[in-house]
Amino acid sequence: MRNPDHPSSLFWLVAGIGIVFGSLKYGFGSLQAPGAGFITFFAGAILILLSAGLLVSSIRSQEPESGLRLLWKGLEARKVLYVLILLVIYALLLKHVGFLISTFVLLIFLFRVKANYHLLNVILMSFLVTAGSYLLFQVWLKVQLPKGILGGII
Amino acid sequence: MDILDHIFFGFEVAFQPLNLLFCFIGVLIGTLVGVLPGLGPVAAISLLLPATFHTPPVASIIMLSGIYYGAMYGGSTTSILVNIPGEAASVVTCFDGYQMARKGRAGPALGIAAFASFLAGTFGVVGLGFLAPPLAAMALKFGPPEYFSLMVLGLTVLTFLAGGSMLKSLMMACVGVVIGNVGLDLITAQPRFTFGLDILLDGVGLVPLVMGLFGVSEVLLNVEEKLGEREIFKAALKGLLPTFRDWKDSFWPIIRGSVLGFFLGILPGGGAVISSFVSYGVEKRVSNHPEEFGKGAIAGVAGPEAANNSATAGAFIPLLTLGLPSNAVMAILLGALMIYGMPPGPKLITSHPHLFWGTISSMYIGNAMLLILNLPLIGLWVKILKIPYPVLFPLILLFCLIGAYSLNNNPAEIGLMILFGVLGYLMKKFKYDGAPLVLAMVLGPLMDQSLRQSLLMSGGSGMIFFTRPICLIIFAAVALILFLPILPLMGRMRKRVAEVGEV
Repeated sequence: MRNPDHPSSLFWLVAGIGIVFGSLKYGFGSLQAPGAGFITFFAGAILILLSAGLLVSSIRSQEPESGLRLLWKGLEARKVLYVLILLVIYALLLKHVGFLISTFVLLIFLFRVKANYHLLNVILMSFLVTAGSYLLFQVWLKVQLPKGILGGII
Repeated sequence: MDILDHIFFGFEVAFQPLNLLFCFIGVLIGTLVGVLPGLGPVAAISLLLPATFHTPPVASIIMLSGIYYGAMYGGSTTSILVNIPGEAASVVTCFDGYQMARKGRAGPALGIAAFASFLAGTFGVVGLGFLAPPLAAMALKFGPPEYFSLMVLGLTVLTFLAGGSMLKSLMMACVGVVIGNVGLDLITAQPRFTFGLDILLDGVGLVPLVMGLFGVSEVLLNVEEKLGEREIFKAALKGLLPTFRDWKDSFWPIIRGSVLGFFLGILPGGGAVISSFVSYGVEKRVSNHPEEFGKGAIAGVAGPEAANNSATAGAFIPLLTLGLPSNAVMAILLGALMIYGMPPGPKLITSHPHLFWGTISSMYIGNAMLLILNLPLIGLWVKILKIPYPVLFPLILLFCLIGAYSLNNNPAEIGLMILFGVLGYLMKKFKYDGAPLVLAMVLGPLMDQSLRQSLLMSGGSGMIFFTRPICLIIFAAVALILFLPILPLMGRMRKRVAEVGEV
């Protein structure tokens, strides 16, 4: 697994196989009357061929220096995961808790990901940004943002 | 003259106060996102798309187009001052623009970039006005087989021109076609690749896909980066106006860049990015002092800046005449036009003349606005550049979150966007290009339809693509493009075989 193309081509190869089988399930039809899975079948088949080609060439050119780990070397990959988890929680809670509270809390966490600002500053910034975006989107652009538990108040 | 009437009509539309206002908002936002690294025109347009559902379509398209060419302007500012391209089309501007700034000539560099952009943008708009109507008339004769072959050509050209491995780009195009066909089949009403999720029945939304692939992924890549101090040019900016000698050195590069950019822009696939690189190469080759390039040659700023702006105008031609987008931004505009109930295609110019001519004229006005706006506001943009990234990225993320949610008031769209954000992040890590995926995703359903209609027309014979003259020419071009990169490889292989044979 030295060359990064190796795992990625394997991934697309598997995806291509899945697409081809899925398309056959939806119905290939015939050339006279193409079915629902007609074009995705061909797209999947070409994907299989291409990723197989990439796989072969990645096996041939194994450079000892280019490991998979090198892609993340010297980087703070944990922070990416942290931000992603925050975003997923936000998506799950948005409807129930409401835009104002969940955005305010999300921003407090996000502003501290890459810097150590004083907590008071962070709270102030989060408050201003939440209020500003509410005014911009809800009041001015008339986007219906979820009210959540504040439903009775605002 | 007929065309003059049309242009006057267009100006009438564009000068309506509402349209003027939206044009101004568009170019202002465009410049802003062009200045901010990590937030490009693609993300900005998809962000504002849901908001435009409440405004009149013409004003919306005028604003969205303004964001596109405004971003081209803004991108050059960051390239010159900070050596960070605000968006991909300004990468080339870094080479000589930043060097000029280091020599204390940031002012003239910014000035010539603005003037070159204005002149080229103007050229592009005039070209668009003259070329689009005859092309649209021709396109009226196209049937499903022609459309299908044109789309195949578009995808092929894009994968050929896109940076990086052509093999990977083709793979991404295939993935895009599949993603584009997720949802109910238009003919049999059968759900395809929906995995039982309601949100996928209508297909994968373009907005969450684009914001994930280009917005969220960019933020994720920056979040893991250890922050260095961004060096912003501190010297005072004075004398934005280029000198007479600067003008003399830039005159022909601007003209060459404008023409080159316009025609490369028409070709499907990343027009603005490619044309700026090509222009830089051309200028270096024809220059009497090629050794100055990379050390602050003003021609290296003027040419590419002109090219990327006229390319943005050229890129509108396939969209407005054929209904085929040539890059990711055009793909979003296509989606927007569909939502407004004005499907782009050869009939658009005649059935919605106010939209077509109004947008073109507004681009002309927008270019003038940008010139007036950019020169005095450069100080402000520099200040914005000083916003530290730890503060900036939560704001970008918040905009993406709201944009995705407001599309259907559905948090599941956010989930979809996060998913594509992860995909885009990994794609950048493993060096896969996102542009072919987006274009193929938009073309996917159109390709599905035209392919099936073609086969129904021919009674199941694939030969229909080779017996119609236009299709034949297009497919010959596709074959040529696909085999071009293999030819040198074959030459090398034959050489190796010969060497082995000699031993």
